[in-house]
Amino acid sequence: MAAAESESPASFPTGPTGPTGPSGNAGGHETPVQRVLVFLERYGVLVAFGVLFLWSAIFAESAETFRRPENLRNILNQNAATGIVAVGMTIVIVVGGIDLSVGSIMALAGAIGVIVMNKCLESGMSEVLSVLCGGGLGMLVGLACGSLNGLLVTLGRLPAFIATLGGLSAYRSITLAIAEGGELRANATEVLTTVGRGGIPVIPASIMPSGSALIVYWNIILFALIAIAGEVILGLSRYGRHVVAVGGNETAARYSAIAVERVRLIAYVLIGGLAAVAGLMLTARNNSMSSSQLGLLMELDAIAAVVIGGTSMAGGKGRVWGTVLGVLILAIINNMLVVANVSAYWQGCVKGVIIVLAVLIQRGRR
Amino acid sequence: MTMPRSGVFVRPIEPPEVAVEVRGIVKDFPATRALDGVSLTFGRGEVHGLVGENGAGKSTLMKILAGLNTPDAGEILIGKRRVTIESVADANSLGIAMIHQELNLVGSLTVAENIFLGREPRSCGFVRRRRMEADAASLLVNVGASIDPRTPVERLSVAEQQLVEIAKALAVDATFVIMDEPTAVLSARETRSLFSLIRRLSASGVTIVYISHLLPEVLSLCHRISVLRDGRLVTTVAPKESSEANLASLMVGRELADVFPRKLPPPADPSIPPALELSHVAVAPVVSDVSLRVAPGEIVGLAGLVGSGRTEAAESIVGIRRPNAGLIKVSGHAVRFHGPREALAAGVAYVSEDRKGRGVHLGMSCVENLTLAHLDAYGRLFPSRMRERAAAQSWIERLAIRCPDMHAPIRTLSGGNQQKFAVAKWLDANPRVIILDEPTRGIDLGAKREMYRLIAELASQGLACLVISSELPELLGLCHRIAVMRQGRIVGEVEGDAMSEERIMYLAAGVTGADAPTGRKSA
Repeated sequence: MAAAESESPASFPTGPTGPTGPSGNAGGHETPVQRVLVFLERYGVLVAFGVLFLWSAIFAESAETFRRPENLRNILNQNAATGIVAVGMTIVIVVGGIDLSVGSIMALAGAIGVIVMNKCLESGMSEVLSVLCGGGLGMLVGLACGSLNGLLVTLGRLPAFIATLGGLSAYRSITLAIAEGGELRANATEVLTTVGRGGIPVIPASIMPSGSALIVYWNIILFALIAIAGEVILGLSRYGRHVVAVGGNETAARYSAIAVERVRLIAYVLIGGLAAVAGLMLTARNNSMSSSQLGLLMELDAIAAVVIGGTSMAGGKGRVWGTVLGVLILAIINNMLVVANVSAYWQGCVKGVIIVLAVLIQRGRR
Repeated sequence: MTMPRSGVFVRPIEPPEVAVEVRGIVKDFPATRALDGVSLTFGRGEVHGLVGENGAGKSTLMKILAGLNTPDAGEILIGKRRVTIESVADANSLGIAMIHQELNLVGSLTVAENIFLGREPRSCGFVRRRRMEADAASLLVNVGASIDPRTPVERLSVAEQQLVEIAKALAVDATFVIMDEPTAVLSARETRSLFSLIRRLSASGVTIVYISHLLPEVLSLCHRISVLRDGRLVTTVAPKESSEANLASLMVGRELADVFPRKLPPPADPSIPPALELSHVAVAPVVSDVSLRVAPGEIVGLAGLVGSGRTEAAESIVGIRRPNAGLIKVSGHAVRFHGPREALAAGVAYVSEDRKGRGVHLGMSCVENLTLAHLDAYGRLFPSRMRERAAAQSWIERLAIRCPDMHAPIRTLSGGNQQKFAVAKWLDANPRVIILDEPTRGIDLGAKREMYRLIAELASQGLACLVISSELPELLGLCHRIAVMRQGRIVGEVEGDAMSEERIMYLAAGVTGADAPTGRKSA
């Protein structure tokens, strides 16, 4: 086309043309203050994490305890389940939804897992096979719960908040009924302990100050793998692009030949599966599950981590790495409060302040 | 339009009493300098036209006056007094109101509630609903709208919403009203009544700034016309001393060749089935009977007033709406799509008239927008970023898209360049039928010309094009054949020498005599 040649290329006198980062916001007319704001908006969570970590590890009164490798490992271990759920929550929130039922799915999956495993053992199956059966069925239950949530949201056209609020109540209630409100104990203790508390030695005993090798638990490894997978899915895959498109503008996505309902359904199935993984993981670690406690209030922790990580509650914009940092920030603060002997009653307050602060910093410029 | 150019409205001989003046306004956006030292005066009671290509800075300048943007340099004077405008409330208190290209009304609220939004008459903290509705009713009468103020806005037509916006501006006693492309969504008749309203407002001392791409409108309506280009004021002219061609060349900074490309003869091979064929398609309640054929390589226009069911008919083709009667065939095969995805798989693409709401994802980058509709072509699981970039680059060159950074959100581009991406997104999927709904709405002349060339070029390569437009010169200049819709049915088809604006308007409006033809010359 001739018009292309006659078009003046010099009509944008300013603005760098080089690789200026993904959003090209590094234009030449921003004041330093604006630049700092833009940076905080994008990487505020990273800065917050860095500051918090350095302070905890170097300057805090309890720094010496905090920075012990075992302590760091334990922090990760204690928060792996939350992290796994939060990765799924990121995708659901970016697609423009929410899942309040994750904690109840965790409990239901854990309960089914234990019951099936125990039944298998009773019928004379090997321990390994029984654990696999229990875990597999627990996973299926999670995926089924997620599918039901997703179908209610897509085919049923219920607001995600309502559909999963129903799930929050119903799945927990089913769990309580199955377990008669109490605990379910696993019988296959040996294999389950290997799964739940085993791991691989990462730092050999010879260089550890404590003199025993640092074992990184499978929980942590699973969390890391799921976090990486989540980041790859949301950031690089075709599905992830569709998630962003649907969450950003559902109508435009539909007009853009995207299977909107399928994209949303998959997100709920995914988080259902991840919640089951988290529930089973905690069950394996404890050799038991409490029908009233497992996963309780998990939805709030997961949403908090997602929000702190810089994902927009309005959908269409988010990142898994931010969520992972959000989980870690909450985890470190909790750990610090415990180490500093702050009353457990105050921990919720601190968490609340952190969540609100994080969103204030990242809310962007007007 | 109906008013002769040199008729009632001549340029005031005396320099108008200055109502508002801007001096040396500069506004920078992250990637571009939108305004580069613009100085302008607006007289009291003047209708001041503001023209320029997309991205020339018209909307930015006006948003500064309306309190939506703050300038980086320069000053604003109202009656010699220097003012700062930092919010819409500031602007309103200075008597400035802006009516946006995209209407900003709350759909679920009533007309009266919208007009008095944020300024509801109250007593003891309670809204005085009666009084509000009575005031709204009188304002609506004032703008010539027969609308019940208790109607929810979402039930109004776009034209009616426009009038509500104007009433809203008058409700704040605005003496300086900015209208950004107000006629883009109006039919000819609605446009005429808007113009008479503008003239009445002007006569009562209200200053109107009128932004439009439709040069005949600007020439017939305005006292003075200012031309912006690349963030700078080119000149201010009187309509008598100017012409469409003159304005157009001032806008682009070079003489425009013919706006429309040469028409190639439509392909006439009866053995090839039409690429798209509709027989007696109905979509309750708006479309009752549409029959239409588009052959490969043919450009068919679909004319009709706003609300005649053109968009609904198009949406029924790609399955956004379900037709409840009739037959749709693509290349001879009967189809029944359940949505744009299935339609695209069969080679039918629909470019929506609603660019910002449906055409593009404003928050996503240019590249991501381009490849969104058929991302699987770039990799089933993981799209290849490299190939996406290459595709974007080639479309940017081919359509001469002004896009300083293809990874920046598409909202940073001007409307015309967004529109080019909105079309390219479908072309990239290589369809055999493309339905373009108002493809040049709100974009400037240069961009329009490129769009026309593109459509003609695609048709010459065998693409079947169905173009829906409210701009008759556009359809006349571009199409081989034009079907006209009225009240949900095709009421006629014109072809060859029979194609004239009068004939089409006659069919579209279903009226005779003086009311039928508009005075607009066909291009």
